[in-house]
Amino acid sequence: MRALAVGVVALAIVASAAAQQRQQVVLPGPVPYPTDTPPLVGSGVLPSVYIAPGIHFASAERVRVGIDGSGRPAAIQVIQRLTVTGKGDYQVAVGGPIDDVRRGAGSESEPGFRKDQVLWAGFSPGRKRLAANIALRIPPAAPYLPLRVDLRRNGDEVSLRVVNATVAPVMSYEGVVRASEMARLLDATRRSSLAGERVKAAFANFFGEVHVPRRPLQIEAPLRVEGELRLPGREPVTFDRVLGDGRPLSFEIHARGGGTPRVQLEASPAPVVNLLRPPGASTWAAAIRRRSIPPADLLSRLIGARFRLVRADQFQAFLADPDADGRTRATYEYETVAARTPRRVVVPVKDGSGGDALLDALLIVGSVVVVGGGLVAWAHS
Amino acid sequence: MRRVIPLLACIALLAAGCGKSSRASGGNIVIAVDVPVTGSPYIAQTIRQGVALAANNLNSGGGVIVGTHSYHLTVKLYDNHLSARQAVDDTRRALSAHAVAIVTDGTGIDATWQIANRDHVPICITYDGGTGLVDVEKRPNVFRIAPTNHGIAFRYAEYLIPKGLKVGLLHDDSAYGQEGAADVGRAFSENPKSVAIRMTLPAGETDLSPQILRARRSRATALLVWAQPPTIAAVLTAARSIGWNVPVYAPPTGADPFIRQQLADHPSWVDGLTFAAGRLTAEVGTGPFQAFESQYESTYGVDKVGVKTADGKAVFQPPEFAMYAYDFAHVLVAALTRAGSLDADKVLSALNEVTTQGANGDERGFNRHNHEGVVDDDVYFARFHDMTYQPVKDDPLSSTLPAIPQTP
Repeated sequence: MRALAVGVVALAIVASAAAQQRQQVVLPGPVPYPTDTPPLVGSGVLPSVYIAPGIHFASAERVRVGIDGSGRPAAIQVIQRLTVTGKGDYQVAVGGPIDDVRRGAGSESEPGFRKDQVLWAGFSPGRKRLAANIALRIPPAAPYLPLRVDLRRNGDEVSLRVVNATVAPVMSYEGVVRASEMARLLDATRRSSLAGERVKAAFANFFGEVHVPRRPLQIEAPLRVEGELRLPGREPVTFDRVLGDGRPLSFEIHARGGGTPRVQLEASPAPVVNLLRPPGASTWAAAIRRRSIPPADLLSRLIGARFRLVRADQFQAFLADPDADGRTRATYEYETVAARTPRRVVVPVKDGSGGDALLDALLIVGSVVVVGGGLVAWAHS
Repeated sequence: MRRVIPLLACIALLAAGCGKSSRASGGNIVIAVDVPVTGSPYIAQTIRQGVALAANNLNSGGGVIVGTHSYHLTVKLYDNHLSARQAVDDTRRALSAHAVAIVTDGTGIDATWQIANRDHVPICITYDGGTGLVDVEKRPNVFRIAPTNHGIAFRYAEYLIPKGLKVGLLHDDSAYGQEGAADVGRAFSENPKSVAIRMTLPAGETDLSPQILRARRSRATALLVWAQPPTIAAVLTAARSIGWNVPVYAPPTGADPFIRQQLADHPSWVDGLTFAAGRLTAEVGTGPFQAFESQYESTYGVDKVGVKTADGKAVFQPPEFAMYAYDFAHVLVAALTRAGSLDADKVLSALNEVTTQGANGDERGFNRHNHEGVVDDDVYFARFHDMTYQPVKDDPLSSTLPAIPQTP
C-alpha cells in the first residue's frame, strides 16, 4: 500500500512537471549594461562614423584621477590608446565631457578636437596606433568613477577609506530550473571570467512561471585595488584588495604620522572568481554530483555573477571605444595632487537656432501685443 | 473700413510672428577668391570655378539660411599675380567688400592672415601645402583644404625608404621648393643612408644637365624633386636625354599639365613620373567624385591638359583643386548656418565645429586643434603612363584607389 502511495505521488509529480511549460530565458550579458554610463557621453551629437569593413578598434585607457587632500577628484585625464587593425578608412569620434585633447605618446595620427568630441580620421594600412591625452570636466565625469576615496586626518592618524562605487540595482528573476543546466552554465561563465573574456550570450530553461523578485539585486563591478598611503618619513602602508565578488565593497586603512598624506592607487575591473568557485570540486558539474545544491541557489549565483561580469565589462571603457564590438581595457589611477583653483566649468549652450527661437518668441509676443492693441483700437473706433 | 485695416495689419503681424517658412532676404554674402590669374592660370581657374560651382549650387537651392534671413552667395575674384604685396592689397579690398571668407592658393598668406584676422575673417588655402602657413594657435583664422608638404614628405619617406632606394633629394630655389625641401629633410632625417645627394636647382633653368649628371654620379637610384612644374620638366628632360631612366618622384606639382605639355614630343619621358596628391575618391567609391566632376565639367567644360594619349585621345585633368575650393565653400556655409549670424567671430568659431560631406564623399571639416582639411593619411601616389596617371600598386592606400578616367 505504501509503495502504491509513493508511486502515485511520483506519477503526480511527473505529470505536474510535464504540465509546466518550458521557456528559454536570456541570461544577463554581454549587454545591456545596468546603467547608461560609463562610457561617458558629451553634450551634442557625434558626427557620422565611418569604419571600413574589416577595420576594428581596440581601446586601452588609463584614467588618471588627481585627488585633493580629502580624496575628492580634482583632475581627471584619460590616456586613450586605440589600436586599429585591418586595412581601410576610418572616421570616428569619441564623446564625453571633454575639456581638451592632445596627441598621446606614440600616436601615428593627430586627434581632432571639437566641443565634447575627440575626432580620428585616416587610413589604416593594416595596423595603426592612435593615442590621445584627454582632459575631462570634473563635475560631469566624477560621478561615474568606479571608486570613492575618502582621506581624513584625525590628530596624528590619517585614515583612507576606499569604496567600490559601481553598485547598481538590477532586475533578477527566479523560477524552476535544472541543477545540471545551471552547473553547466556556471562552469561556462567561470571559464570566460577566468580567461578575461567578455561574458557570452546564453539562455537558461525555466519550467513554469518566471518570477521577478520585488527587491532588485544589488550588483557591482568587482575591482582590484592596489596602492599605498604614504606619510613623510614613514614606511608606506600598502594594500591590495578586491572590492566586490562576494567580498566587502570598501576598506579602510590607517597610518600614523605628520605631514601631507599621499595616496597612490590603481584599480581595474576584476573577473568574478570568488562567487563562481565551485564548492569542494573543480567544476560545478562535479560539485552537484558530490552533494545536492538547490537549483534556485545555483540560478541566483549564476545571475549575480553574470551581472557582475557585465558591470565589470562596462567599466572597461570610461570613454567609449569607437568600435562597439572592440576589446576595451581600462585602469583607474588615483593620486593625490596639489590643491588647485577650481576650474571654470563651461555650461553647455544649445547650438544652432537659439537666436531664431528668441527672435520667434519676441515676434509672437510682439504680435499678440499688437493684435490686442489693434482689437482695442478697433472696438473703440 | 477703418476697423478692417488695423485688424488685417494685426493678422499679418501675427502671421509673421508664427510663420517660419518664408525667410526675409538678407542680400549677398561675398566670398573672395584671391588667386594667381596671371601667374598660374590653371590653379587660379580651377580654384575660382570650385568656389563658384558651390555658390551656384547653394544659390539655386534657395540660397543660404543664416539666422532668420536667406542670403545669396557671390564670388569676387582677385588676381594676386603670385605676389605677396598684391595679395595684401587684395585682402584689404576683400575686407572692404565685406567678404565673409577669402579662398586663396596660398600666395602672400604670411602677410595677409593678420589683416584678415583683425576682422576675424577666415582665409582658406586650397593649393599651397607649406608648413607653417597654417597654425591654429598663431593664425586662428587660417584654414587649409589641400595636402600638406609635411604629410607628403613623410608619406614619401615611408614609401621610398623601405624600397632600399638611394634617393637624390632635389628642390628648386623657389619658395615652394625650399619649403618642401625643409619638410623632406625632416622626413628623411632619421634615415640618412637612404639619401644619395641633396641639391638645389635653379628655378626657371631649362637645362639642368650638369646637376643631373652630378646626381647620377652620386649613385642615386631615385630622384625626389620638390619643385615647380618647369623644373620637374627640366629634370626629366636632362635625365632621359642622357639615357638615365631613374625613377622620378614629385609633389603635387608633378601632376601639373605644364609638364606634359612641355614633354609632349617625348611622352615616354613622362612615363614613370610619380607624384603625390590628396586622394580624389573616398572608400565609398568613385561615385561622389564623378558626380562632382560631371557637374564641374558640364558647367565649365573639361580642364584640357593639351596632350593626347598614344591612341589619339585628348587628355583632361580631374578637378582636384576645384574640389578643395568647392568643399571649403560648403564648410563655410555650414559654419554660417551654425553660427546663425554673419558675426565674423561666431563664424570663425563655428568653422571649428562643423563637418560636411566633401565632393569625394569624405567628411570635410576642421576642429579646434587642427585647421587642415586633408589628413596626411589621405596622401596617395600616382604614376604616369601614356600621359595619364593612375594610383600605384605598391602603397597600401594607393593600391585601394581606383583610376580616375582622364580621357573621353
